[in-house]
Amino acid sequence: MNSTAATRPNGLALFILPSALLFALFFFLPIGLMAVMSVLTGNPVVMPKVAFTTRHYVRMIGDPFYLEVIWTTVRIGLVTTLVALAIGYPLAHWMARIKSRTGHALLLMAVLAPMLTGIVVRTFAWMTLLSDKGVVNETLMSLGLISQPLKLMYTETGIVVGLVHIYVPFMVLTLTGVIGRIDERLEQAAENLGASPLRAFLEVTLPLSLPGILAGSLLVFALAISAYVTPILLGGFQIMTLPILIYQQISANFNVGFAAALGIVLLVISLLLVVAYNRALGLVSGQRELQ
Amino acid sequence: MSASIEIAGVSKVYDGGVRAVDAVAMDVRQGEFFSLLGPSGCGKTTTLRMIAGFETPSSGAIRVDGADITHVPAHKRDMGMVFQNYALFPHRTVAENVAFGLRMRGLDKATIAAKVKAALAMVELSGLEDRRPAQLSGGQQQRVALARAIVIAPRVLLCDEPLGALDKKLRQQMQFELKQLQKKLGLTLVFVTHDQEEALAMSDRIAVMNGGRVEQVGTPTEIYNQPTTRFVADFIGDTNIFRGERVGPNLDVGKGLILALPPSEMQGTGVLSVALRPEKIRLIPRAESAAAGSSAHGIVENTNFLGGAVLYRVELAGGHRVLVQQPNAGTSRLFVPGNGVTLEWTPADLVVLKD
Ligand SMILES: Nc1ncnc2c1ncn2[C@@H]1O[C@H](COP(=O)(O)OP(=O)(O)OP(=O)(O)O)[C@@H](O)[C@H]1O
Ligand SMILES: [Mg+2]
Repeated sequence: MNSTAATRPNGLALFILPSALLFALFFFLPIGLMAVMSVLTGNPVVMPKVAFTTRHYVRMIGDPFYLEVIWTTVRIGLVTTLVALAIGYPLAHWMARIKSRTGHALLLMAVLAPMLTGIVVRTFAWMTLLSDKGVVNETLMSLGLISQPLKLMYTETGIVVGLVHIYVPFMVLTLTGVIGRIDERLEQAAENLGASPLRAFLEVTLPLSLPGILAGSLLVFALAISAYVTPILLGGFQIMTLPILIYQQISANFNVGFAAALGIVLLVISLLLVVAYNRALGLVSGQRELQ
Repeated sequence: MSASIEIAGVSKVYDGGVRAVDAVAMDVRQGEFFSLLGPSGCGKTTTLRMIAGFETPSSGAIRVDGADITHVPAHKRDMGMVFQNYALFPHRTVAENVAFGLRMRGLDKATIAAKVKAALAMVELSGLEDRRPAQLSGGQQQRVALARAIVIAPRVLLCDEPLGALDKKLRQQMQFELKQLQKKLGLTLVFVTHDQEEALAMSDRIAVMNGGRVEQVGTPTEIYNQPTTRFVADFIGDTNIFRGERVGPNLDVGKGLILALPPSEMQGTGVLSVALRPEKIRLIPRAESAAAGSSAHGIVENTNFLGGAVLYRVELAGGHRVLVQQPNAGTSRLFVPGNGVTLEWTPADLVVLKD
């Protein structure tokens, strides 16, 4: 904190006031309320006599069902992230290194185009593809590759497919920025010193793009564990995830306190990841701080 | 072991249709300091990148010690390269950077450590092993890049304007050190530069390039004293270029100026260009008469004090402007603008140019 700036606020400081207010109103207030609700016995607006309690958290930890839901959510998030990374990295590398401008524009459009359609629409499209009588199963059966339809809908696999489709662009865009900033001549220098193109990639480009890998993964993971529409439509309530559970607690059980506690768990998982991300980044790119 | 390089009629046309290198042919001898010199965009980097294997020639062949390597991938060429921006690996220490090529060659740890140590000692960087490139000065980074390239004992060392980013003092020091190292190790070195002084000072031989073509290949003295083309004469140092019609043993360059041609060039007819270096002309106070063909009267238009010498621009009676350089020897008289002077030269110092 700079004391002169604090005592003599200049005009420019006023410009951040609206965004600061917005941030406080729509970010800290809801999260703060949620945190408070998660430790109260009831909704203070409708029930004036509420007390402090930890019972929502105790219930969560004591019941294997809820732990299972948390683990399922995290598992779906992890698999989605890994698949999005596996698909997104080569694409991002291609996009960052493509010489032709038209090629770059086409790739960018291909990556962005799905984002122009709503999530619901895209998820319905996957339903027509993945259902027992859907395009995938019909095609495989008519080719004689399978006799029974594969169970694709209402499984975690189906949810992951839908989520990957939605979140791959985030991975690609994050990675493209980072890979694009890596000087191509570094790879050439490695090849010049005797590294095969693959080795040069593993020794130079991959480690230098780790910040992008971490950032993209964090983004996709956080989005995937908080996704609601896709897990409902492609999981058909057969697969229970945290966001679905939270919605049920509020709309069906009217248990706002427990819903808030579940929301806090979701938030803590994301926050832990952000902390881990910063740690990891500090380790892999120690040279940044040394500069 | 150092190798020789043969570039046989190599052209490179980039995707957009740019003919960056056009039928370049030259030989680099074993153990030679060979410079590619030319203005920006003339194709020096492209030529070097084709030798290194980062670009494939559109036509022609590149041979190393007689073996065709035109289509050998870069990592199998066994050449060291110092990039213009050094291209040091930012996520690795100095020692790891230098060790990289040795590691790729599968040497054992002890050998690598010993070689890295020796290479860093050679470029006077001992003690900085554990720094990262970002913690080094420009000159130190340059040395790491050099150590990284020579530690693998490459058959050929390629340098793309390696000294371009350094300030003048450091640049001169590195020029000297690089030259010494090259001689000591007997390296075949292909050195790209657009700085003619650097090329003249360091090279055994120079290829002057222009618009993708090689204009002339020769030793620094040949390039300077006997430029064969108008471009080379103009690009290397200051020079006076005259173009005119042959009249007997003389050249009539118009505006009343007649130049006596050197003895070897007296035969023939037609149009001809000749070059005359400013320091080959003597400047004396206005004489009574000027010998036609090898002297002329003029008036000093302006002077440029260079320290060891003075460069004059003289306007001749007919209107030609001529550069004259005189050594700043305490005894010789210095002229000022407006002085009437007479220029004298020896016809044999005229160099006949191809256009
Ligand atoms: N990848 C590329 N694609 C298309 N054209 C290129 C490419 N690289 C270089 N060129 C063009 O080829 C010509 C020669 O470029 P090159 O880099 O070899 O020049 P240079 O002599 O090294 O110049 P400088 O001294 O500025 O480095 C230039 O006209 C340049 O614009
Ligand atoms: Mg260049």
